[in-house]
Amino acid sequence: MVNVEKFIEKAVGEIRNAAGNEKVVMALSGGVDSSVCAALATRAIGDRLVPIYVDTGLMRKGETDRIRTLFDGNLLVVDAADEFFAALEGVTDPEAKRKAIGERFIRVFEREAKRTGATMLLQGTIYPDRIESEGGIKSHHNVGGMPLNIDFKGVIEPIADLYKDEVREVAGGLGLPVEIQHRMPFPGPGLAVRVLGEVTREKVAIVREANAIVEECLVEKFRPWQCFAALVGLGTGVKGDVRLHGWIVAVRAVQSRDGMTADPLLLPYETLSRMATRITAEIPGVARVVYDVTPKPPATIEYE
Amino acid sequence: MLPLYVVNNHGQFNHLILRALRDMDVEATMISNETPPAEVARGCRGIILGGGPTLDRIGAAPAYLDLGLPVLGICLGLHIMATARGGAVRRGASGGFGAVEVDVLDRDGILQGYPERMQVWASHADEVSVVPEGFVRLAESAICGVESMASPDERLYGVQWHPEVSHTVNGRLLLENFNRICSE
Repeated sequence: MVNVEKFIEKAVGEIRNAAGNEKVVMALSGGVDSSVCAALATRAIGDRLVPIYVDTGLMRKGETDRIRTLFDGNLLVVDAADEFFAALEGVTDPEAKRKAIGERFIRVFEREAKRTGATMLLQGTIYPDRIESEGGIKSHHNVGGMPLNIDFKGVIEPIADLYKDEVREVAGGLGLPVEIQHRMPFPGPGLAVRVLGEVTREKVAIVREANAIVEECLVEKFRPWQCFAALVGLGTGVKGDVRLHGWIVAVRAVQSRDGMTADPLLLPYETLSRMATRITAEIPGVARVVYDVTPKPPATIEYE
Repeated sequence: MLPLYVVNNHGQFNHLILRALRDMDVEATMISNETPPAEVARGCRGIILGGGPTLDRIGAAPAYLDLGLPVLGICLGLHIMATARGGAVRRGASGGFGAVEVDVLDRDGILQGYPERMQVWASHADEVSVVPEGFVRLAESAICGVESMASPDERLYGVQWHPEVSHTVNGRLLLENFNRICSE
Protein backbone atom coordinates (compact mmCIF):
# COMPACT_ATOMS: atom_id res chain seq x y z
CA MET A 1 0.00 0.00 0.00
CA VAL A 2 1.04 3.57 -0.68
CA ASN A 3 2.50 5.77 2.06
CA VAL A 4 -0.16 8.50 2.01
CA GLU A 5 1.71 11.43 3.59
CA LYS A 6 4.80 10.91 1.48
CA PHE A 7 2.77 10.44 -1.66
CA ILE A 8 0.83 13.68 -1.19
CA GLU A 9 3.97 15.71 -0.57
CA LYS A 10 5.70 14.24 -3.62
CA ALA A 11 2.68 14.58 -5.92
CA VAL A 12 2.08 18.21 -4.96
CA GLY A 13 5.74 19.00 -5.66
CA GLU A 14 5.62 17.23 -9.01
CA ILE A 15 2.47 19.04 -10.12
CA ARG A 16 3.99 22.38 -9.11
CA ASN A 17 7.14 21.65 -11.13
CA ALA A 18 5.28 20.34 -14.16
CA ALA A 19 2.81 23.24 -14.23
CA GLY A 20 5.35 26.05 -13.83
CA ASN A 21 3.38 29.26 -14.31
CA GLU A 22 0.88 27.74 -16.73
CA LYS A 23 -2.88 27.39 -16.35
CA VAL A 24 -4.04 23.76 -16.03
CA VAL A 25 -7.38 22.32 -17.08
CA MET A 26 -8.92 18.97 -16.08
CA ALA A 27 -12.12 16.98 -16.46
CA LEU A 28 -13.71 16.50 -13.03
CA SER A 29 -16.36 13.79 -12.72
CA GLY A 30 -16.67 13.86 -8.94
CA GLY A 31 -15.40 10.28 -8.74
CA VAL A 32 -12.56 9.51 -6.37
CA ASP A 33 -9.78 9.60 -9.02
CA SER A 34 -10.53 13.01 -10.49
CA SER A 35 -11.43 14.44 -7.06
CA VAL A 36 -8.07 13.39 -5.63
CA CYS A 37 -6.32 14.92 -8.64
CA ALA A 38 -8.24 18.16 -8.23
CA ALA A 39 -7.39 18.35 -4.52
CA LEU A 40 -3.68 17.65 -5.14
CA ALA A 41 -3.51 20.23 -7.94
CA THR A 42 -5.35 22.84 -5.88
CA ARG A 43 -2.73 22.42 -3.15
CA ALA A 44 0.00 22.72 -5.77
CA ILE A 45 -1.15 25.59 -7.96
CA GLY A 46 -4.32 27.00 -6.38
CA ASP A 47 -6.70 28.72 -8.76
CA ARG A 48 -4.48 28.13 -11.77
CA LEU A 49 -6.32 24.79 -11.89
CA VAL A 50 -9.61 24.96 -13.81
CA PRO A 51 -11.72 21.81 -13.29
CA ILE A 52 -14.49 21.28 -15.85
CA TYR A 53 -17.53 19.16 -15.04
CA VAL A 54 -19.56 18.04 -18.06
CA ASP A 55 -23.20 17.23 -17.26
CA THR A 56 -23.97 14.65 -19.94
CA GLY A 57 -27.60 14.24 -18.90
CA LEU A 58 -26.60 10.66 -18.01
CA MET A 59 -25.67 11.41 -14.40
CA ARG A 60 -27.26 10.00 -11.27
CA LYS A 61 -30.05 11.71 -9.39
CA GLY A 62 -28.89 14.96 -7.80
CA GLU A 63 -25.30 14.32 -8.84
CA THR A 64 -24.60 17.58 -10.64
CA ASP A 65 -25.96 19.70 -7.79
CA ARG A 66 -23.96 17.71 -5.28
CA ILE A 67 -20.71 18.15 -7.24
CA ARG A 68 -21.43 21.88 -7.50
CA THR A 69 -21.73 22.07 -3.70
CA LEU A 70 -18.66 19.95 -3.02
CA PHE A 71 -16.38 21.77 -5.46
CA ASP A 72 -17.38 25.39 -5.40
CA GLY A 73 -14.86 28.02 -6.41
CA ASN A 74 -13.28 27.51 -9.81
CA LEU A 75 -15.47 24.63 -11.02
CA LEU A 76 -16.90 25.14 -14.49
CA VAL A 77 -20.19 23.24 -14.96
CA VAL A 78 -21.23 22.62 -18.57
CA ASP A 79 -24.79 21.49 -19.31
CA ALA A 80 -24.43 19.35 -22.43
CA ALA A 81 -27.40 16.96 -22.07
CA ASP A 82 -29.03 17.96 -25.39
CA GLU A 83 -25.85 17.24 -27.33
CA PHE A 84 -25.44 13.82 -25.73
CA PHE A 85 -29.03 12.67 -26.31
CA ALA A 86 -28.81 13.85 -29.93
CA ALA A 87 -25.60 11.84 -30.40
CA LEU A 88 -27.26 8.72 -28.93
CA GLU A 89 -30.42 8.81 -31.05
CA GLY A 90 -30.92 5.49 -32.85
CA VAL A 91 -27.69 3.96 -31.50
CA THR A 92 -28.25 0.45 -30.06
CA ASP A 93 -24.87 -1.32 -30.23
CA PRO A 94 -23.11 -1.11 -26.82
CA GLU A 95 -19.69 -0.30 -28.26
CA ALA A 96 -21.17 2.28 -30.64
CA LYS A 97 -22.91 3.89 -27.65
CA ARG A 98 -19.69 4.08 -25.67
CA LYS A 99 -17.88 5.54 -28.68
CA ALA A 100 -20.59 8.13 -29.34
CA ILE A 101 -20.46 9.27 -25.71
CA GLY A 102 -16.65 9.26 -25.52
CA GLU A 103 -16.37 11.26 -28.73
CA ARG A 104 -19.00 13.79 -27.64
CA PHE A 105 -17.33 14.15 -24.23
CA ILE A 106 -13.98 14.90 -25.81
CA ARG A 107 -15.43 17.50 -28.17
CA VAL A 108 -17.36 19.27 -25.37
CA PHE A 109 -14.33 19.24 -23.09
CA GLU A 110 -12.11 20.48 -25.91
CA ARG A 111 -14.43 23.40 -26.64
CA GLU A 112 -14.64 24.45 -22.99
CA ALA A 113 -10.92 23.89 -22.32
CA LYS A 114 -10.02 26.16 -25.23
CA ARG A 115 -12.15 28.92 -23.74
CA THR A 116 -10.19 28.82 -20.48
CA GLY A 117 -6.90 29.48 -22.26
CA ALA A 118 -5.18 26.69 -20.28
CA THR A 119 -1.96 25.26 -21.73
CA MET A 120 -1.63 22.11 -19.63
CA LEU A 121 -3.92 19.09 -19.16
CA LEU A 122 -4.23 17.12 -15.92
CA GLN A 123 -5.72 13.61 -15.87
CA GLY A 124 -6.69 10.99 -13.28
CA THR A 125 -5.14 8.01 -15.05
CA ILE A 126 -4.49 5.18 -12.57
CA TYR A 127 -2.06 2.27 -12.76
CA PRO A 128 -4.34 -0.46 -14.21
CA ASP A 129 -5.35 1.94 -17.04
CA ARG A 130 -1.72 2.26 -18.00
CA ILE A 131 -0.90 -1.44 -17.80
CA GLU A 132 -4.01 -2.38 -19.76
CA SER A 133 -3.27 0.14 -22.49
CA GLU A 134 0.40 -0.90 -22.71
CA GLY A 135 -0.56 -4.56 -22.76
CA GLY A 136 -3.21 -4.08 -25.46
CA ILE A 137 -6.00 -5.48 -23.26
CA LYS A 138 -8.10 -2.41 -23.89
CA SER A 139 -7.26 1.16 -24.68
CA HIS A 140 -8.15 3.80 -22.13
CA HIS A 141 -8.78 7.12 -23.78
CA ASN A 142 -7.09 9.01 -21.00
CA VAL A 143 -3.71 7.31 -21.32
CA GLY A 144 -1.19 9.72 -22.80
CA GLY A 145 -3.84 12.39 -23.22
CA MET A 146 -7.38 12.51 -24.52
CA PRO A 147 -7.41 12.86 -28.33
CA LEU A 148 -8.02 16.60 -28.20
CA ASN A 149 -7.40 19.02 -31.02
CA ILE A 150 -5.52 21.28 -28.66
CA ASP A 151 -1.76 21.40 -28.47
CA PHE A 152 -1.21 21.26 -24.74
CA LYS A 153 2.35 21.89 -23.64
CA GLY A 154 2.11 18.88 -21.36
CA VAL A 155 -0.06 16.25 -19.65
CA ILE A 156 0.14 15.75 -15.87
CA GLU A 157 -0.96 12.39 -14.41
CA PRO A 158 -0.42 12.61 -10.64
CA ILE A 159 -1.90 9.22 -9.63
CA ALA A 160 -0.64 7.08 -12.51
CA ASP A 161 1.20 4.72 -10.12
CA LEU A 162 -1.74 4.02 -7.81
CA TYR A 163 -4.48 1.40 -7.62
CA LYS A 164 -8.08 2.38 -6.88
CA ASP A 165 -7.98 1.34 -3.23
CA GLU A 166 -4.76 3.33 -2.79
CA VAL A 167 -6.42 6.38 -4.36
CA ARG A 168 -9.12 6.04 -1.69
CA GLU A 169 -6.43 6.05 1.02
CA VAL A 170 -4.97 9.24 -0.47
CA ALA A 171 -8.47 10.79 -0.57
CA GLY A 172 -8.67 10.18 3.18
CA GLY A 173 -5.24 11.71 3.69
CA LEU A 174 -6.30 14.80 1.75
CA GLY A 175 -9.33 15.22 4.00
CA LEU A 176 -11.85 14.82 1.17
CA PRO A 177 -15.42 14.11 2.33
CA VAL A 178 -16.08 10.46 3.20
CA GLU A 179 -18.78 10.55 0.53
CA ILE A 180 -16.10 11.07 -2.14
CA GLN A 181 -13.51 8.79 -0.58
CA HIS A 182 -15.92 5.87 -0.65
CA ARG A 183 -17.84 6.90 -3.74
CA MET A 184 -18.94 3.88 -5.73
CA PRO A 185 -17.35 3.58 -9.16
CA PHE A 186 -19.63 5.15 -11.78
CA PRO A 187 -18.96 4.34 -15.43
CA GLY A 188 -17.72 7.08 -17.74
CA PRO A 189 -20.72 6.70 -20.10
CA GLY A 190 -22.99 7.12 -17.08
CA LEU A 191 -26.51 5.72 -17.00
CA ALA A 192 -26.31 5.03 -20.76
CA VAL A 193 -24.69 1.63 -20.05
CA ARG A 194 -27.52 0.83 -17.65
CA VAL A 195 -30.11 1.11 -20.42
CA LEU A 196 -29.88 -1.81 -22.83
CA GLY A 197 -30.56 -0.75 -26.41
CA GLU A 198 -31.28 2.80 -27.53
CA VAL A 199 -30.85 5.51 -24.92
CA THR A 200 -33.68 8.04 -24.61
CA ARG A 201 -34.49 10.73 -22.06
CA GLU A 202 -37.50 8.70 -20.86
CA LYS A 203 -35.50 5.53 -20.24
CA VAL A 204 -32.71 7.43 -18.50
CA ALA A 205 -35.29 9.12 -16.26
CA ILE A 206 -36.66 5.70 -15.23
CA VAL A 207 -33.29 4.10 -14.62
CA ARG A 208 -32.14 7.19 -12.69
CA GLU A 209 -35.04 6.80 -10.23
CA ALA A 210 -34.40 3.06 -9.93
CA ASN A 211 -30.70 3.67 -9.22
CA ALA A 212 -31.57 6.17 -6.52
CA ILE A 213 -33.89 3.64 -4.81
CA VAL A 214 -31.28 0.87 -4.98
CA GLU A 215 -28.63 3.15 -3.49
CA GLU A 216 -30.99 4.27 -0.72
CA CYS A 217 -31.80 0.66 0.17
CA LEU A 218 -28.26 -0.75 0.01
CA VAL A 219 -25.37 1.71 0.31
CA GLU A 220 -25.44 2.55 4.00
CA LYS A 221 -26.67 -0.76 5.31
CA PHE A 222 -24.63 -3.19 3.20
CA ARG A 223 -21.64 -1.14 1.99
CA PRO A 224 -21.42 -2.83 -1.42
CA TRP A 225 -18.40 -2.10 -3.62
CA GLN A 226 -20.93 -1.15 -6.26
CA CYS A 227 -24.72 -1.34 -6.60
CA PHE A 228 -27.08 -0.13 -9.28
CA ALA A 229 -30.17 -0.78 -11.38
CA ALA A 230 -30.38 -1.38 -15.13
CA LEU A 231 -33.25 -1.44 -17.63
CA VAL A 232 -32.96 -4.79 -19.38
CA GLY A 233 -36.11 -4.99 -21.47
CA LEU A 234 -39.89 -5.05 -21.51
CA GLY A 235 -42.18 -7.63 -19.92
CA THR A 236 -45.81 -8.07 -19.06
CA GLY A 237 -47.16 -6.94 -15.72
CA VAL A 238 -50.49 -6.07 -14.20
CA LYS A 239 -50.88 -2.93 -12.13
CA GLY A 240 -54.27 -2.01 -10.65
CA ASP A 241 -56.09 -4.59 -12.82
CA VAL A 242 -54.60 -3.05 -15.93
CA ARG A 243 -52.17 -4.92 -18.14
CA LEU A 244 -48.82 -3.16 -18.35
CA HIS A 245 -46.14 -3.87 -20.92
CA GLY A 246 -43.52 -2.38 -18.63
CA TRP A 247 -39.80 -2.27 -17.92
CA ILE A 248 -37.82 -5.06 -16.31
CA VAL A 249 -35.33 -3.57 -13.86
CA ALA A 250 -32.30 -5.66 -12.93
CA VAL A 251 -30.68 -4.87 -9.57
CA ARG A 252 -26.97 -5.63 -9.15
CA ALA A 253 -24.91 -5.34 -5.96
CA VAL A 254 -21.36 -6.72 -5.72
CA GLN A 255 -18.37 -6.97 -3.42
CA SER A 256 -14.92 -6.48 -4.90
CA ARG A 257 -11.48 -5.17 -4.02
CA ASP A 258 -10.49 -3.76 -7.37
CA GLY A 259 -13.33 -4.42 -9.81
CA MET A 260 -11.36 -7.18 -11.54
CA THR A 261 -13.29 -9.98 -9.84
CA ALA A 262 -16.63 -9.60 -8.07
CA ASP A 263 -19.20 -11.55 -6.10
CA PRO A 264 -22.90 -10.72 -5.76
CA LEU A 265 -24.07 -9.69 -2.28
CA LEU A 266 -26.10 -12.28 -0.41
CA LEU A 267 -28.93 -9.85 0.38
CA PRO A 268 -31.73 -10.72 2.82
CA TYR A 269 -34.96 -11.61 1.05
CA GLU A 270 -36.83 -8.81 2.79
CA THR A 271 -34.37 -6.25 1.38
CA LEU A 272 -34.83 -7.62 -2.13
CA SER A 273 -38.56 -7.62 -1.62
CA ARG A 274 -38.60 -4.02 -0.38
CA MET A 275 -36.60 -2.87 -3.40
CA ALA A 276 -39.02 -4.63 -5.75
CA THR A 277 -41.97 -3.00 -4.02
CA ARG A 278 -40.49 0.48 -4.02
CA ILE A 279 -39.22 0.38 -7.61
CA THR A 280 -42.52 -0.87 -9.03
CA ALA A 281 -44.61 1.43 -6.81
CA GLU A 282 -42.62 4.62 -7.27
CA ILE A 283 -41.84 4.29 -10.97
CA PRO A 284 -44.98 3.94 -13.13
CA GLY A 285 -43.36 2.28 -16.15
CA VAL A 286 -41.73 -0.63 -14.29
CA ALA A 287 -43.46 -4.03 -14.25
CA ARG A 288 -40.83 -6.34 -12.82
CA VAL A 289 -37.65 -6.36 -10.70
CA VAL A 290 -34.96 -9.08 -10.82
CA TYR A 291 -31.75 -9.55 -8.80
CA ASP A 292 -28.56 -10.53 -10.63
CA VAL A 293 -26.66 -13.35 -8.87
CA THR A 294 -23.81 -13.82 -11.37
CA PRO A 295 -20.20 -13.33 -10.25
CA LYS A 296 -17.46 -11.70 -12.37
CA PRO A 297 -16.23 -13.68 -14.22
CA PRO A 298 -18.22 -14.81 -16.20
CA ALA A 299 -20.40 -11.65 -16.11
CA THR A 300 -18.98 -8.14 -15.93
CA ILE A 301 -20.21 -5.76 -13.25
CA GLU A 302 -22.00 -3.33 -15.57
CA TYR A 303 -24.41 -4.59 -18.26
CA GLU A 304 -22.84 -3.06 -21.36
CA MET B 1 18.70 -8.80 -6.59
CA LEU B 2 17.20 -9.13 -10.08
CA PRO B 3 13.42 -8.61 -10.43
CA LEU B 4 10.80 -11.17 -11.36
CA TYR B 5 9.40 -10.75 -14.84
CA VAL B 6 5.65 -10.91 -15.42
CA VAL B 7 5.00 -11.85 -19.05
CA ASN B 8 1.98 -10.06 -20.46
CA ASN B 9 -0.10 -12.53 -22.46
CA HIS B 10 -2.94 -10.00 -22.88
CA GLY B 11 -5.05 -11.26 -19.97
CA GLN B 12 -7.13 -8.80 -17.97
CA PHE B 13 -5.63 -9.90 -14.62
CA ASN B 14 -1.96 -9.60 -15.70
CA HIS B 15 -1.48 -6.26 -13.93
CA LEU B 16 -2.87 -7.74 -10.71
CA ILE B 17 0.13 -10.10 -10.63
CA LEU B 18 2.37 -7.03 -10.53
CA ARG B 19 0.21 -5.52 -7.85
CA ALA B 20 0.32 -8.66 -5.68
CA LEU B 21 4.11 -8.75 -5.94
CA ARG B 22 4.34 -5.05 -5.16
CA ASP B 23 2.20 -5.57 -2.06
CA MET B 24 4.72 -8.26 -1.02
CA ASP B 25 7.62 -5.81 -1.59
CA VAL B 26 8.96 -8.01 -4.37
CA GLU B 27 10.44 -6.10 -7.27
CA ALA B 28 8.76 -7.06 -10.53
CA THR B 29 8.52 -5.77 -14.10
CA MET B 30 5.93 -6.49 -16.75
CA ILE B 31 7.40 -7.44 -20.12
CA SER B 32 5.95 -8.07 -23.56
CA ASN B 33 5.81 -11.72 -24.64
CA GLU B 34 7.76 -10.65 -27.74
CA THR B 35 10.86 -9.90 -25.63
CA PRO B 36 13.87 -11.90 -26.96
CA PRO B 37 14.60 -14.92 -24.69
CA ALA B 38 18.26 -13.94 -24.24
CA GLU B 39 17.18 -10.58 -22.85
CA VAL B 40 14.77 -12.31 -20.44
CA ALA B 41 17.53 -14.69 -19.29
CA ARG B 42 19.82 -11.76 -18.43
CA GLY B 43 17.25 -9.56 -16.72
CA CYS B 44 15.39 -11.60 -14.09
CA ARG B 45 15.57 -14.37 -11.50
CA GLY B 46 12.17 -15.89 -12.26
CA ILE B 47 9.32 -15.64 -14.75
CA ILE B 48 5.55 -15.57 -14.33
CA LEU B 49 3.57 -16.28 -17.50
CA GLY B 50 0.29 -14.39 -17.14
CA GLY B 51 -3.07 -15.50 -18.46
CA GLY B 52 -4.64 -14.45 -21.72
CA PRO B 53 -7.30 -15.19 -24.30
CA THR B 54 -5.50 -17.42 -26.80
CA LEU B 55 -2.44 -19.54 -27.55
CA ASP B 56 -2.25 -17.66 -30.88
CA ARG B 57 -0.83 -14.55 -29.19
CA ILE B 58 1.83 -15.94 -26.86
CA GLY B 59 4.82 -14.63 -28.83
CA ALA B 60 8.13 -16.02 -27.58
CA ALA B 61 6.70 -17.16 -24.22
CA PRO B 62 7.28 -20.92 -24.82
CA ALA B 63 11.02 -20.25 -25.22
CA TYR B 64 11.16 -18.74 -21.71
CA LEU B 65 10.68 -22.27 -20.31
CA ASP B 66 14.13 -23.28 -21.58
CA LEU B 67 16.23 -20.59 -19.88
CA GLY B 68 16.95 -22.59 -16.72
CA LEU B 69 14.97 -20.06 -14.66
CA PRO B 70 11.97 -20.91 -12.46
CA VAL B 71 8.66 -20.33 -14.27
CA LEU B 72 5.13 -20.03 -12.90
CA GLY B 73 2.41 -20.33 -15.56
CA ILE B 74 -1.02 -18.97 -14.64
CA CYS B 75 -4.14 -20.07 -16.61
CA LEU B 76 -3.03 -19.63 -20.26
CA GLY B 77 0.53 -19.71 -18.84
CA LEU B 78 -0.19 -23.26 -17.67
CA HIS B 79 -1.44 -24.13 -21.16
CA ILE B 80 1.72 -22.68 -22.71
CA MET B 81 3.76 -24.93 -20.44
CA ALA B 82 1.67 -28.02 -21.24
CA THR B 83 1.73 -27.59 -25.03
CA ALA B 84 5.41 -26.56 -25.21
CA ARG B 85 6.48 -29.72 -23.37
CA GLY B 86 4.48 -32.21 -25.42
CA GLY B 87 1.24 -32.28 -23.41
CA ALA B 88 -2.14 -31.20 -24.71
CA VAL B 89 -4.93 -28.71 -24.06
CA ARG B 90 -8.60 -29.08 -24.98
CA ARG B 91 -11.93 -27.33 -24.45
CA GLY B 92 -13.14 -28.50 -21.02
CA ALA B 93 -16.50 -30.23 -20.56
CA SER B 94 -17.35 -27.47 -18.10
CA GLY B 95 -15.67 -24.08 -17.97
CA GLY B 96 -14.39 -22.76 -14.65
CA PHE B 97 -15.73 -19.27 -13.99
CA GLY B 98 -15.76 -17.66 -10.58
CA ALA B 99 -15.36 -19.81 -7.46
CA VAL B 100 -13.91 -23.34 -7.80
CA GLU B 101 -13.16 -25.84 -5.00
CA VAL B 102 -9.71 -27.33 -5.53
CA ASP B 103 -8.21 -30.44 -3.91
CA VAL B 104 -4.50 -30.16 -3.32
CA LEU B 105 -2.67 -33.44 -4.08
CA ASP B 106 0.87 -32.36 -3.24
CA ARG B 107 1.44 -29.83 -0.51
CA ASP B 108 5.18 -29.42 -1.00
CA GLY B 109 6.88 -26.85 -3.18
CA ILE B 110 4.62 -24.32 -4.85
CA LEU B 111 1.48 -25.33 -2.87
CA GLN B 112 3.26 -25.60 0.48
CA GLY B 113 1.16 -24.35 3.37
CA TYR B 114 -2.25 -24.75 1.68
CA PRO B 115 -5.06 -26.89 3.14
CA GLU B 116 -6.23 -30.09 1.42
CA ARG B 117 -9.22 -28.29 -0.04
CA MET B 118 -9.49 -24.61 -0.86
CA GLN B 119 -11.54 -22.09 -2.80
CA VAL B 120 -9.94 -20.32 -5.72
CA TRP B 121 -11.18 -18.08 -8.55
CA ALA B 122 -10.87 -19.12 -12.13
CA SER B 123 -11.81 -17.94 -15.59
CA HIS B 124 -11.15 -20.57 -18.23
CA ALA B 125 -12.87 -22.63 -20.92
CA ASP B 126 -9.81 -24.76 -21.87
CA GLU B 127 -7.90 -27.20 -19.69
CA VAL B 128 -4.82 -29.43 -19.76
CA SER B 129 -5.88 -32.85 -21.08
CA VAL B 130 -2.46 -34.52 -21.29
CA VAL B 131 0.20 -33.83 -18.65
CA PRO B 132 3.65 -33.64 -20.30
CA GLU B 133 6.35 -36.15 -19.48
CA GLY B 134 8.37 -35.15 -16.43
CA PHE B 135 5.42 -33.26 -14.90
CA VAL B 136 3.23 -34.32 -11.96
CA ARG B 137 -0.26 -33.17 -11.05
CA LEU B 138 -0.40 -31.04 -7.89
CA ALA B 139 -4.14 -30.25 -7.67
CA GLU B 140 -7.49 -31.21 -9.19
CA SER B 141 -11.15 -30.20 -8.98
CA ALA B 142 -14.51 -31.70 -9.85
CA ILE B 143 -14.51 -29.82 -13.17
CA CYS B 144 -10.83 -30.00 -14.12
CA GLY B 145 -8.31 -32.81 -13.64
CA VAL B 146 -5.21 -30.62 -13.92
CA GLU B 147 -5.74 -27.59 -11.71
CA SER B 148 -1.99 -27.52 -11.10
CA MET B 149 1.10 -29.36 -12.33
CA ALA B 150 4.85 -29.08 -11.97
CA SER B 151 8.21 -30.33 -13.08
CA PRO B 152 9.97 -29.70 -9.76
CA ASP B 153 13.46 -30.54 -11.05
CA GLU B 154 13.18 -27.89 -13.71
CA ARG B 155 11.32 -25.54 -11.36
CA LEU B 156 8.38 -25.23 -13.78
CA TYR B 157 4.99 -24.73 -12.11
CA GLY B 158 1.52 -24.19 -13.54
CA VAL B 159 -1.87 -23.34 -12.01
CA GLN B 160 -5.23 -23.15 -13.75
CA TRP B 161 -6.67 -20.64 -11.27
CA HIS B 162 -5.69 -17.03 -10.61
CA PRO B 163 -3.70 -16.56 -7.38
CA GLU B 164 -3.44 -12.82 -8.17
CA VAL B 165 -7.16 -11.94 -7.82
CA SER B 166 -8.52 -10.89 -4.45
CA HIS B 167 -11.29 -13.50 -4.50
CA THR B 168 -8.84 -16.42 -4.47
CA VAL B 169 -8.43 -17.33 -0.80
CA ASN B 170 -4.80 -16.72 0.24
CA GLY B 171 -3.53 -16.56 -3.34
CA ARG B 172 -0.59 -14.57 -2.05
CA LEU B 173 0.92 -17.70 -0.44
CA LEU B 174 1.43 -19.28 -3.86
CA LEU B 175 3.29 -16.20 -5.10
CA GLU B 176 5.35 -16.15 -1.90
CA ASN B 177 6.26 -19.80 -2.45
CA PHE B 178 7.28 -19.03 -6.02
CA ASN B 179 9.31 -16.01 -4.93
CA ARG B 180 11.09 -18.22 -2.39
CA ILE B 181 11.88 -20.81 -5.06
CA CYS B 182 13.27 -18.01 -7.25
CA SER B 183 15.51 -16.83 -4.42
CA GLU B 184 17.01 -20.26 -3.70
